Amino acid sequence: MNNNSVLFEEDFKIKGWDFTNAGEASLKIKNYLKEVGIAENILKRVAITSYEAEMNIVLYAKEGTINFKVTPKKVLLEVKDRGPGIEDVELAMKEGYSTATEEIRNMGFGAGMGLPNIKKNADMFVIKSEPGKGTKLNIEVYLK
Amino acid sequence: MKRNPDKYFHSIEIVEEKCIGCTICMKVCPTQAIRVKNEVAVTIPERCIDCGECIRVCPQNAIIPLTTEYQDLKKFKYTVALPSPVLYSQFGPDVMPNDILLALKKIGFDDVYDQAWSCEVISKAIELFLEDKKHYRRPIISSTCPAVVRLIQIRFPSLLDLIVPVEYPRELSAKEIKSKITDKLKIPEKDIGLIHITPCPAKMISIYEPPTREKSHLDGAIAIKDIYGALLNALKDVTDSETILQRSGGIGIGWAISGGEVKGLKFENCLAVSGVKDTIRILEDVESGILSGIEFLECLVCPGGCIRGPLTVQNPHIARTRIEKLIKMFGEKSRVNEEKVKKLYKKGYFFFKKRIDAAPVMPLSKDPSEAIRILKRREEVLKELPGKDCGACGAPDCRTFAEDVAKGIALIDECVFRIIQKAEVKHKM
Repeated sequence: MNNNSVLFEEDFKIKGWDFTNAGEASLKIKNYLKEVGIAENILKRVAITSYEAEMNIVLYAKEGTINFKVTPKKVLLEVKDRGPGIEDVELAMKEGYSTATEEIRNMGFGAGMGLPNIKKNADMFVIKSEPGKGTKLNIEVYLK
Repeated sequence: MKRNPDKYFHSIEIVEEKCIGCTICMKVCPTQAIRVKNEVAVTIPERCIDCGECIRVCPQNAIIPLTTEYQDLKKFKYTVALPSPVLYSQFGPDVMPNDILLALKKIGFDDVYDQAWSCEVISKAIELFLEDKKHYRRPIISSTCPAVVRLIQIRFPSLLDLIVPVEYPRELSAKEIKSKITDKLKIPEKDIGLIHITPCPAKMISIYEPPTREKSHLDGAIAIKDIYGALLNALKDVTDSETILQRSGGIGIGWAISGGEVKGLKFENCLAVSGVKDTIRILEDVESGILSGIEFLECLVCPGGCIRGPLTVQNPHIARTRIEKLIKMFGEKSRVNEEKVKKLYKKGYFFFKKRIDAAPVMPLSKDPSEAIRILKRREEVLKELPGKDCGACGAPDCRTFAEDVAKGIALIDECVFRIIQKAEVKHKM
C-alpha cells in the first residue's frame, strides 16, 4: 500500500458561535481514531489539536471546515475558515497572546494557548492567514 | 445466587421467560450492550458496565440483579453487615444511623460495621495521595463507583492510571473487620460472611471479580430493597440507646450523595459528576486533554449519586434531603485521626493490590486494516439507513446497527424501513 494513500477521510462543517455543536467534530475525530486502534498518546495529540482548531472557528470565524484524513503514516487535518484572519501570525503563535474579546474570555476561552498548543502537539504545523478573509491550518500527527 | 464461572461475570440477568423484547432497556443502555434477538433482549457481556439503567426501566421486571439472597447467609457461621451510607437515607426523619445499625443486628447479623466510617478514613487517604503525587497527571479520578471503573476499563483505558489507587470504602471496611474477627474471635475465615448492604448491583462485580485485587474481602451484597421490610419491622423494637455502633460523622455519611466524596477533601478544584451520560462526557474531555485545572474528579453513574441506586427504596430526592440533614447533624469535621491514617498510608495499607486492566471495546478489530474497513463500511451503511433510531431491527440506533452490519453480525435488510420500502416498490410494480 502506498504510504500516502488515504485510508479514511471525512469533512466537518463548523459554524461560528454555534455552541450547541462546539467540540462535536473533534470528539468524532477522536473516536474514529479510537475505533481503528490508534495508540493513546497519538490519540490525545490529535484530540487536542483538532479541538483547539475547532474552537478557533467557533469563537472567531463565521464558518469553516475540517478535513480529516488518515494515511498509513499519519493523521492529517486541514482546517479552513472564513473569518477575520490573523494580522500578525508570529505574534499569535506566542503563548498568552490573544485577541479574544471579553465575551470569549468570560466563557473561559481566549487564554492565548490555542495555536501554541496546536504547534506543541503537532509533528507538522503550517498556518496561513489572510486578514479579512480567513485562516488555513495544516496539521499532521505522525503515527510512529 | 447462581453464577456461571465460564462466563464473564455480570450482576444483571435478563429472564428470558419474562422478556417480551420491547427494546426499552436496549434504548437506555449507555454502552450499547443490549440487542433484541428473536424477541428477547440479550446482553453483550464485554460492553456491559453493570450500571443498572436497564433494571430501572424494564416494564416487565424481566431484568434482575444478581445480588446475594437473604437465605444465602445461612452458610456462614458468623455474619457481618457493612451497609452503604445510602441505607441511612432510606427511613423516616427520626430514624438515626445508630438505630439502623442496631436493627441490622436484630434481623440476624452477628455484627455490623459502619461503612461510612471507612468513607471518612478514605477521604483522608485520598488527600494524602493527592499531596504525595503533586506532580502527577490530573485529574485523579475516584475509584468508588464500580460501574465507572468498568466504563474506564472498556472505553477510556488511557485514563486507568488516573484512578486513585486507594481501596473503596466497602473493601476497606471488610479488610478491617475481617482481621479483627479472625484475631479476636478465632473464627476460621471460611465461616465468616461479610455482607455489603448495597444500593446497586454493580458492587457485585467488585466482589466476585475485583479489578484491584485477586480476591475481595467481602462475601456478598444484599440489596437494600431486599431487607428493607425486615429492617422496618426490627426498627420498631430498637430501644437500646446505650450501644453506639456509629463512628462516622457528616463527611462519611455524605458519600451517599453526588459531591459527597469531594466534600471530604481539602482541595478546592474538585469536580463531582453524576449520571452515566454526564460521566461519559466528562471522561471524553479528560481523555482529549481539554479539562484543565481539576485536581480530583468524582464520577458516579447514578444521577445524584448512590442514593439513586436501582436497588434503593426511598424517593431519591427525599433521600438526598435526609443525607444533607444528617451531614449537618453530625458535622462536617473529619473524625479520623490523621496521624494514624498517615502511618497506615506510608505502610501502603490503602492501596490496590494490582493494577486495573484495560478491556477496550472501542477498536472495531484487533487488525488495524480490518478496523478501517469496518469503519468505512459502517459509515457507508449509515447513509443508507433512515436515521430514525427506531430499534425495530434489534439494535439500539442506526449507527450501532450499521456497525453490526459492517461487522457481519446483522444484515442491512433487517431494517424495517428498508423492508417497507421494498414492499412498496413491489406493490407499485
